[in-house]
Amino acid sequence: MLRIVVGIKWVPNTTSVNIDPKTGTLIREGIPSVVNPHDLEAVEMALRLRDEYGGRVTAITMSPPSARAGLEHVLGMGVDDAVLVSDRAFAGADTLATSYVLAKVIERLGYDLIVFGQETIDSSTAHVGAQVASWLDIPYVYYVTHARLEGGRLIVRRSLENVRETYELELPALISVAMHTLHPRRVRLSHKLRAKLESPIETWTNRELGLEPDCIGLKGSPTALSKIEMIPKVPRKNEIFRGDPREAAKWLVDKLIEEGLLEV
Amino acid sequence: MVCSEWPEIRLDEYEGVWVAAFADESGQGIEEASLQLIGAARQLADKLETYVGVALIGRGVRDLAREPIFYGADRVFVVDDDRLATYYPAVWGRVLHDLASRHRPEVFLIPATLRGREMAPYIANSFRTGITADLTAMDVNERGEVVLIRPPFGGFMLAHIVTRNRRPVMGSVRPNVFPTPERDESRTGEVVEESIDVPEPRGIRLLEREPILKKEEIPIEKADVIVAGGRGIGSKEGFKLLRRLADLLGGVVAGSRKAVDAGWIEPDKQVGQTGKAVKPNLYIAVAISGAAQHVFGIREAKRVVAINVDPDAPIFEHSDYGIVGDYREVVPALIELLEEIKGRRKEG
Ligand SMILES: Cc1cc2nc3c(=O)[nH]c(=O)nc-3n(C[C@H](O)[C@H](O)[C@H](O)COP(=O)(O)OP(=O)(O)OC[C@H]3O[C@@H](n4cnc5c(N)ncnc54)[C@H](O)[C@@H]3O)c2cc1C
Ligand SMILES: Cc1cc2nc3c(=O)[nH]c(=O)nc-3n(C[C@H](O)[C@H](O)[C@H](O)COP(=O)(O)OP(=O)(O)OC[C@H]3O[C@@H](n4cnc5c(N)ncnc54)[C@H](O)[C@@H]3O)c2cc1C
Repeated sequence: MLRIVVGIKWVPNTTSVNIDPKTGTLIREGIPSVVNPHDLEAVEMALRLRDEYGGRVTAITMSPPSARAGLEHVLGMGVDDAVLVSDRAFAGADTLATSYVLAKVIERLGYDLIVFGQETIDSSTAHVGAQVASWLDIPYVYYVTHARLEGGRLIVRRSLENVRETYELELPALISVAMHTLHPRRVRLSHKLRAKLESPIETWTNRELGLEPDCIGLKGSPTALSKIEMIPKVPRKNEIFRGDPREAAKWLVDKLIEEGLLEV
Repeated sequence: MVCSEWPEIRLDEYEGVWVAAFADESGQGIEEASLQLIGAARQLADKLETYVGVALIGRGVRDLAREPIFYGADRVFVVDDDRLATYYPAVWGRVLHDLASRHRPEVFLIPATLRGREMAPYIANSFRTGITADLTAMDVNERGEVVLIRPPFGGFMLAHIVTRNRRPVMGSVRPNVFPTPERDESRTGEVVEESIDVPEPRGIRLLEREPILKKEEIPIEKADVIVAGGRGIGSKEGFKLLRRLADLLGGVVAGSRKAVDAGWIEPDKQVGQTGKAVKPNLYIAVAISGAAQHVFGIREAKRVVAINVDPDAPIFEHSDYGIVGDYREVVPALIELLEEIKGRRKEG
């Protein structure tokens, strides 16, 4: 049976995120969150593989408890079960410490295939996938657009800037799904009802995982925020035209000609 | 106490600013993103009063080994190996890690091409060190620490990130964030041939690699004129209008993230913090509100024009010339006028 683990991150759904200037970590209070949209694409790919070849899809998230709503969302899409990895001891992690905890969680779950999103919309590092693969010492490929099983191996396709590549991966392996390539399926009432009845979400704290305090959270993070500064605004002319569109066009074209940006 | 999974290191043993460099597609030169990074590393190294090292790996790269020196490197460490004929993230990542751990640079920078973004965190993890993604500036603070600077979500704020107890300090840098330095053949430096035990790829095999045949189109980061559309364009049809305007101006079409999310324009044409930084002479933002993350990508644009129905749209604060109006009226008027001018030019 194919055991697929999908990583999803619960991210603030706004552009007005604030950072606590003292700790350098996110202030999440009062900001509505969503499942990172690119992780829904990862969920979609995992579900397609399961639907085609059988198996089980488990979603995991390392997050404050409010991420339960995100796990319920992907259970509604058809994910089989989920683990909420939540403990104050994990807070303030950079990507190294995040990937460490996730790798340990995945190891404890057992897995054949790990599917991640390409990157998150909040800090967008695209680090965590490669780091998890490194901790687990398994093969990995980013930016996957298509995946299928053939003789127990995973055949994946991906595109880089100028080449298209096809790789064969032995399981266990990790892939990250190219963003903007899959349409995540909708939540279905029947899945939601099942999730309600069976409540397949487990919560794991560091009591279950027993990780060294020095390897997790702030302490397990080599990077630290030392300062935040405003980006200086680029000075611009700020000339504005209001009125008839034809006159507006004439005004602009004259300006561009004046500046040598348009040849006559 | 430190995490027992992290090997013990001595910080004072680490010196120099390193850059990973790769051959370009033709194999005849070094890729642009690597050259740009060498220029940035040079500036940081001068502040730290240390050397710039370049890790150049691949098959047949020996012939290119002097190139990085012409762009600012002091020492080039070359691993030219047949077993690097095919790219595998974990193999290349491992080789770069092993090479760098032999020489212990204080800083190690990776170009954030798609491959670079795939390898960089793997390399960092092999050192059990931190890595800053997509940095846009580097500095040395009062305490003598290397500070890597990146734009966080706000788009209008910059996060200064330090790596206190681990080495190397690692960072990745997107293409075109730093300018390509002038090539200077009079610069001198040292080429060091290295032999590294290249591991066999484990559990992964490349089955096929084919070039993507692209329409002969200028990538947005190289374009002189860009017409960019946002969510206010409303449809794919609307983007055809922008295309006509761009054609008349000899430019290309780009978009905001919302336009990309809507599927009206390809992801590689997204402008902004999580898209591309562009540096055209003329940037025309049509029906784009001017979110900080978008504006971040046009800081290097010489002139910015905004067309927006909302007189209070933030984009006007970031533009040189603004037109308040519905793009469905303004853009056709522009097209008409430009066609007229073009017609006159032909006659004259
Ligand atoms: C302003 C700011 C800047 C930052 N910059 C850096 C930096 O440069 N370097 C650094 O090391 N840390 C950085 N961080 C910390 C970083 O945001 C966290 O470590 C975060 O938990 C993981 O990084 P990411 O969101 O970039 O994930 P990515 O690496 O972009 O995520 C890739 C995929 O991994 C999976 N995934 C990621 N997080 C989780 C999770 N919590 N649970 C389950 N699956 C997950 C998802 O499938 C996701 O799509 C920064 C934080 C802030 C506030
Ligand atoms: C971490 C992070 C990274 C991000 N990275 C990027 C990035 O790289 N690039 C990016 O673009 N965004 C990015 N965003 C998203 C950004 O915050 C904005 O949501 C996005 O830029 C808005 O796109 P828009 O201006 O097209 O749409 P909107 O904000 O919806 O604006 C549409 C505009 O169109 C105008 N309009 C509507 N109809 C018309 C008409 N008929 N004629 C003229 N004007 C009209 C409206 O007045 C409005 O100003 C990022 C966000 C986050 C959180």
